[in-house]
Amino acid sequence: MITRVRLLVAFLVVTILASCGPGPTAVPSQPAASASASAGPTKGGVLRIGYGAEVDNLNAFTSQFLTDIELTMVEGLIVSNDKNEYIPVLAKQVPTVANGLVKTRSDGKLELTWPLQQGVMWHDQVHEFTADDVCFTWKYIVGTGSEVYNRNSYLPISDCRVQDKYTAVMVWDKPSAIYNGLFEAVLPKYMLEGKDIVKYDGYNRSPVGTGPFIFVEWKSGEYVRVKRNPNYWRGKDYPYVDEIVFRFIPDINTRLNAVKSGEVDFAQMTPTQVKDVKDLANYNLTLVQQNSWQHFDMSIKTERGAKIFGDKSVRQALFMLIDKKTIVDGVLEGTVQVADTVAPTTSPYYNPNVKKYPYDPTAAKKLLDDAGWKVGADGIREKAGEKLSLTALLSSADAIGKLYWQVIQQNMKAAGVDIKIDTKDAAARSQVWRSGQWEVQISRWVLPADPSVTGLYSCKGSNNMTGFCDPVMDEQMIKSDEELDPAKRKALLFKAQELLAENAFSLPVYYNVNPIVTSKKLVNFKASGTNLGSFWNVYEWYLGK
Amino acid sequence: MGRYVRRRLIQMVPLLFGISLLIFLIIQAAPGGPEAIFLENRLFIDPSVIDAFRQRLGLDQPVPVQYVRWVTAVLSGDFGISFTTGRPVGDMIAERLPATLELMSVSFVFAAVVALPLGVYSAVRQYSLFDFSATTASFLGIAMPVFWFALILQLLFSVNLGWLPTSGRDTIGDGSVPDQLKHLVLPAFVLSIRHIAGWSRYMRSSLLDVIRADFIRTARAKGLRERIVLSRHAVKNALIPVVSIMALDLAGLFSGAVITETIFAWPGVGRLFVQAMFSRDYPLLMGILMMGSFLVVFFNLLADIAYAWLDPRISYR
Repeated sequence: MITRVRLLVAFLVVTILASCGPGPTAVPSQPAASASASAGPTKGGVLRIGYGAEVDNLNAFTSQFLTDIELTMVEGLIVSNDKNEYIPVLAKQVPTVANGLVKTRSDGKLELTWPLQQGVMWHDQVHEFTADDVCFTWKYIVGTGSEVYNRNSYLPISDCRVQDKYTAVMVWDKPSAIYNGLFEAVLPKYMLEGKDIVKYDGYNRSPVGTGPFIFVEWKSGEYVRVKRNPNYWRGKDYPYVDEIVFRFIPDINTRLNAVKSGEVDFAQMTPTQVKDVKDLANYNLTLVQQNSWQHFDMSIKTERGAKIFGDKSVRQALFMLIDKKTIVDGVLEGTVQVADTVAPTTSPYYNPNVKKYPYDPTAAKKLLDDAGWKVGADGIREKAGEKLSLTALLSSADAIGKLYWQVIQQNMKAAGVDIKIDTKDAAARSQVWRSGQWEVQISRWVLPADPSVTGLYSCKGSNNMTGFCDPVMDEQMIKSDEELDPAKRKALLFKAQELLAENAFSLPVYYNVNPIVTSKKLVNFKASGTNLGSFWNVYEWYLGK
Repeated sequence: MGRYVRRRLIQMVPLLFGISLLIFLIIQAAPGGPEAIFLENRLFIDPSVIDAFRQRLGLDQPVPVQYVRWVTAVLSGDFGISFTTGRPVGDMIAERLPATLELMSVSFVFAAVVALPLGVYSAVRQYSLFDFSATTASFLGIAMPVFWFALILQLLFSVNLGWLPTSGRDTIGDGSVPDQLKHLVLPAFVLSIRHIAGWSRYMRSSLLDVIRADFIRTARAKGLRERIVLSRHAVKNALIPVVSIMALDLAGLFSGAVITETIFAWPGVGRLFVQAMFSRDYPLLMGILMMGSFLVVFFNLLADIAYAWLDPRISYR
């Protein structure tokens, strides 16, 4: 057993080293050669995945779903790994100031050089992946009507230049720290040039990439099937698995039954199902900590909201009436962690020293009393004719939200704060949420591996739904987005997190987890909680004995 | 008869127009637009992308303009492009129809084969132990929540016994006929329960009415054997109202079963409808709802024609 573990460790080290190596030449069949036949990765087999709802399309840029399926076929310049880091894929290196690939020009513009892997073929085995494809992808994204969800992150790139076949140079109008999280996919120019990509089914339903798996078929309402790419650029041994099938099983209880009856090797569960799957004989359970947190928000975009929540002590009092620990241990059965700041604990930008708001009804009541909110005859606090009766916006699809709002409702009631719950269907809730015409709510954000939250909390942030604004905090956040030195950027983001907590603009409640069950046979699955999902290293997964 | 059918067919045109206008307005009146899917799944969203999306889909136009555009396209046979997938709505429905038809027709036939004899036997042996048990069972069948029953069956036959697959239409890579049949058993059975319960009740009460009629007494008085009286005289007449109920249920064959299809991950029209509804995919919703409306109107006509055939007293002019 010990030898097996050791060999596995040796193999992992080799693979990691190999994948960080300078190019495809460093990658070939070393693991198989170094490991003995019994402990080496097993080749072949079909990996059966119990997926949730059916996806809309398979274009990583325009799909509104997680890009798990795409990332088995399509690769980008980078991907984010299980440690919240961006690692190179089709790029040989991620450009940084330290490695000399990021330069500030004399005109203040930023120049990024992307050295690319050589000898990488698209799935047709005729066309080679080159810098042309990278610049083609950029051109498509920044075009009007590309409908790429984060198009505005690409807009500061003013030029993409093909320096040579294997080098793309991008010019940024101003320094930007988020450059390395873009281009999670590259589009094949030979196939898409002159096409209206948003509407082009030839790609959107059967994508062509450079990845370890090749598209086979998509049976509407049933599954997407991909097969092994025999000419994968990382070496002939990769990928180990012959085929992956993503079966769409929308109902969560059916998915659980499919796991229990052994029909799938991999399935996503919900936190409330953890107790049902944690002791299954043939499956491992991984609680993947997401770059995502639930947060309690108040809107000051309405007149009444501005009157009530404009007062910081009211906000802080409400924060102290939310019993995070009971929500985490009771409602979520201890599967998640309490959150106090917006960065996940797994991120290098996690600041543990922000102001915390523990559950403290006594202090909360005192704050409210001092702020002039006196308990009225009906037990509800009031001030200047305004009742402290708040409406919570909730999506009908949010099963867990229905449970924790009951906890909060009770706790607040005891302190003289009345909560009414307004449940709306998901689409209707989103519309109200985006309009700012709501009072309080709890929902989630999902971050990429990059920790920037400027879009959420800056005064003019495109996703600032609450209307809160602090110029001092803005300055920290905007500076941090332009800071290329990781250490300095970290200091700025630490400060921003502290200000966010101090200002009491938004209360992080808990970090979301994504419980994934995998067959005990599946080796090398390394879950990642970023928006790019857990399939980032699918080429090295294998189904053991 | 021919004139009657022609007149009914012509009446269908304004009726369907009215239905389409009503559905269109109701769909548009539901709060939240198709861009909701952007906001729900991807969280960092560039607001200008939403504008581009709405513009491409023509959602920036006033509702009457959108309706006129939709009607004009439909008249030339184009049901539009799905908002979520960007594919023609007609294609999307067409590729789901076979699965729905397969599931629905199997459960329909199975239900008919079980329900009609059950109803007849209950009526003949009224107030017997069998009748009471059948009555209790059918009330249970009507009252049982489909999602609960489906999950219990999955737990029993898939998880515990391992005889049948939990969900899907076939095992990927297998797809043989026995494999497909195995996948069909649970959803078809769940769907047929309600039909069996309902139709056997109709059959029973309708036959009880007929059995007391004068012409049955006459038949018995002629000295016919009870079996002949039942099969030649009673059951045929008792079938008339039952057939009309069944004909109306036929429309459901095409629109599928929302809950059963979702729970069993069956790739049918019902599940497509749910997806379309949650993502506010207006053209897809219109396509599915209009197909359903057309079929209801059409099968109504068929039921009326079937009446005339079963009962010569009814005639149309």
